[in-house]
Amino acid sequence: MKETTTSPRLLLAQRVAAILILLGIWWLVIASGAVPSMLPGVSQILAAIGKAFVSAAFWGALGKTLLAALSGWAIAAVVGVVAGLVIGSINFLDRSTSILVDFGRSFPVLALMPVVIMLLGSNARMEIVVVALSCLWPVLVQTVYGARRQEAAVSDTVAVFRIPPLLRFRRVLLPSALPFIATGVRISASVALLIAVGVEVISQAPGIGRQITLMQQEQRWDMAFAYLFFTGMVGWAMAAVLQRFENRLLIWKRQEND
Amino acid sequence: MTSATLTAAQPRAARKVRRAGGPNTGTRILQSTWLVFVVLAAWWVFSARSTNFFIPSLEQILTVLVRDLGNGVIMAGALYSLANLFVGLLVAAALGIGFGLLLGEVGWLCRIVDPIIHFFRSVPQAALVPMIIGVFGLGQGPKMGTIAFACLWPILLNTIDGVLGVEPTIRKFSKVYRIPRGLHFRKVVLPAALPQIVAGVRVALPIGITVMVVSEMFASTEGLGFYILNSSATFQVPETWAGALLVGVVGYIISMLFILAERRMLRWYYASGSQ
Amino acid sequence: MTAPVQADSQLAQSTLLMKVRGMTMSYGSGTAENKILENLDLDVNTGEFISIVGPSGVGKTTLLRCLSGLLHPKAGTIEVGGAIIDGPHPDLAVVFQDYSRSLMPWMTTRENVAFPLQGKGMNKADRIRVAEENLAAVGLAGQGGKYPWEMSGGMQQRVAIARALAYNAKVLLMDEPFASVDAQTRFDLEDLVIKLKQEFGVTILLVTHDIDEALYLADKVVVIAEKPATVVDVIVTGFGEERDQVDTKADPRFGEARARILHRLRKN
Repeated sequence: MKETTTSPRLLLAQRVAAILILLGIWWLVIASGAVPSMLPGVSQILAAIGKAFVSAAFWGALGKTLLAALSGWAIAAVVGVVAGLVIGSINFLDRSTSILVDFGRSFPVLALMPVVIMLLGSNARMEIVVVALSCLWPVLVQTVYGARRQEAAVSDTVAVFRIPPLLRFRRVLLPSALPFIATGVRISASVALLIAVGVEVISQAPGIGRQITLMQQEQRWDMAFAYLFFTGMVGWAMAAVLQRFENRLLIWKRQEND
Repeated sequence: MTSATLTAAQPRAARKVRRAGGPNTGTRILQSTWLVFVVLAAWWVFSARSTNFFIPSLEQILTVLVRDLGNGVIMAGALYSLANLFVGLLVAAALGIGFGLLLGEVGWLCRIVDPIIHFFRSVPQAALVPMIIGVFGLGQGPKMGTIAFACLWPILLNTIDGVLGVEPTIRKFSKVYRIPRGLHFRKVVLPAALPQIVAGVRVALPIGITVMVVSEMFASTEGLGFYILNSSATFQVPETWAGALLVGVVGYIISMLFILAERRMLRWYYASGSQ
Repeated sequence: MTAPVQADSQLAQSTLLMKVRGMTMSYGSGTAENKILENLDLDVNTGEFISIVGPSGVGKTTLLRCLSGLLHPKAGTIEVGGAIIDGPHPDLAVVFQDYSRSLMPWMTTRENVAFPLQGKGMNKADRIRVAEENLAAVGLAGQGGKYPWEMSGGMQQRVAIARALAYNAKVLLMDEPFASVDAQTRFDLEDLVIKLKQEFGVTILLVTHDIDEALYLADKVVVIAEKPATVVDVIVTGFGEERDQVDTKADPRFGEARARILHRLRKN
């Protein structure tokens, strides 16, 4: 791999240029009339974004979505990490649960929506449950994996120096699984937002997803696109922040791998 | 840390903690399945006692599932759904792998478009469904397109990662022996990146299945998603559960088949312990 | 075979610290049984340095894992200080070959050394003090705040030795401790171990495939060979307390012993 060093400023300029090119293509496609006329042009979307930015309804909806996403995510993270460490460190449990875990992680939870709506209704509680159910699997699978792949030398060391179980859990199992836990928690954070919006789109529970479908039904395509764009930005920012945080937290892991 | 000392210690790492007298095949199968049976049995017993209209007994659910599987209602829907999934995934794989190889090789381009890719990956796919259907209509094409769009990004990102992760030594070899560009791509970069690429497709699979179901819950008259939504709209509760259960089982089976195929295709990768 | 161990009168004077009798170990059972060790006897006196040398694949690691209590032998007993032990024991500390893996990368070297003491229930101030003392003893004074991955392989192995010393066990078991460092570092570490033995009077049992290393370090070299492995020879080196990488190895007795061991191993 060649590492050509580009100055950060040049890189930024290039990236902005790439985005402008993309917007230009969008504008051209619209202008050519080759696509259905509902699609809004660049200027309309930009205007709509400006409008969304000062709209209380938009921020309220975004807040509701984020709250549901974060609550579900937090529940899934706690449950997933504790269950994952226990399952991953006990061989018997690991083998016994593997089929159920594989089933759970491949299950499209959004397909359960009609059932969940029947049981819990179209509200924030239902949304949190669905988000938590979806986020649980990445955390659980990663944590089990992290707890399972304990180095033979580490477990020998723990045995020889007769480290008591609780100390072992806290100072050996948890930190050694932490890189995997962090990845699982990070993955599930983006899942949380995607699922929360999906739930709102399907169930019409209040939030940004509902706003998007409402705008679309009112033929306000520019607003719908603006909202979609915004949600994408929020998800992107969340992922970037978590990645930073993870890198900082796991400085020993990165150093060791160098 | 010097890499020389790291490699020297490597072979010992392969040693797993040995256990005296490992379980034989029978006990192993029993160990991995008993909990599934316990869960099913618990579901069966508790749901049989349920008085909640929305929680039908497992017996009822299975009965309607068998009935609708037998009379072809579900089969037609499943074929429609899976066709969408398959085409969408195929398109996503073709585009994702193609562009991924390109971007992975051309480092400067990759760095420039990196934020754009991450942005698109963060766009909520489910919210895209009503938009795409609203703009492009109700046919199969827009559904396939949505699935392809949702599946594209994980495959693309994984392919880029795979190409970037190719052993520098292998790259140097290719250069030193003056392997022609096309051959280098086909025989060096692609196989070396393949494990990552396949992992990307594996990640995309459940996303595709989710979008498949969601896309059929919007103004559709066919497919598994329609079956579930239609059943719930007409208060056919056991049918709703049966549909959701079926989607889960289908998703599980597809994932397992994929993993089996992956193990076969990438035997060198698992055998050489490169992971 | 019976132990030809107490041959030397000089050693018989010291007190017997560790006694292994009839140790037998195998994997599998019935026709698939794979015997690794058979009827192995070993005596270790207080303050003694014993090397166990044998060819690769003879079962040295299995032997050490049995001695350290990580594996349960199929038959035989291990006694330390008169008490029969079964499983890991506070009187035994181990230095592993995989130093880079047996040190926890998320702990500083000080925390690594202090960790087993925390397991023993020692309070924080004490265990930090003990860790620093032992780090100083292995030549790493003031390096406690570093992480293992910030150190060279040789320094990491010093940390592993400090950790075992700090545990304050009666016997130090070392499993090919210098197998994965370069030659110069290896000599330094060998001399460090000799120094520690003189300073602290620790009893050391070291397993290696390197005949020179075994002879250079030990008071007594136990040769194991054959399949399943048993003790085939015991050599008392008699080089005294002071060793030198050049002079000791040039000693005619060194050459003789070396030839004897090589000869013994070639026969199998």
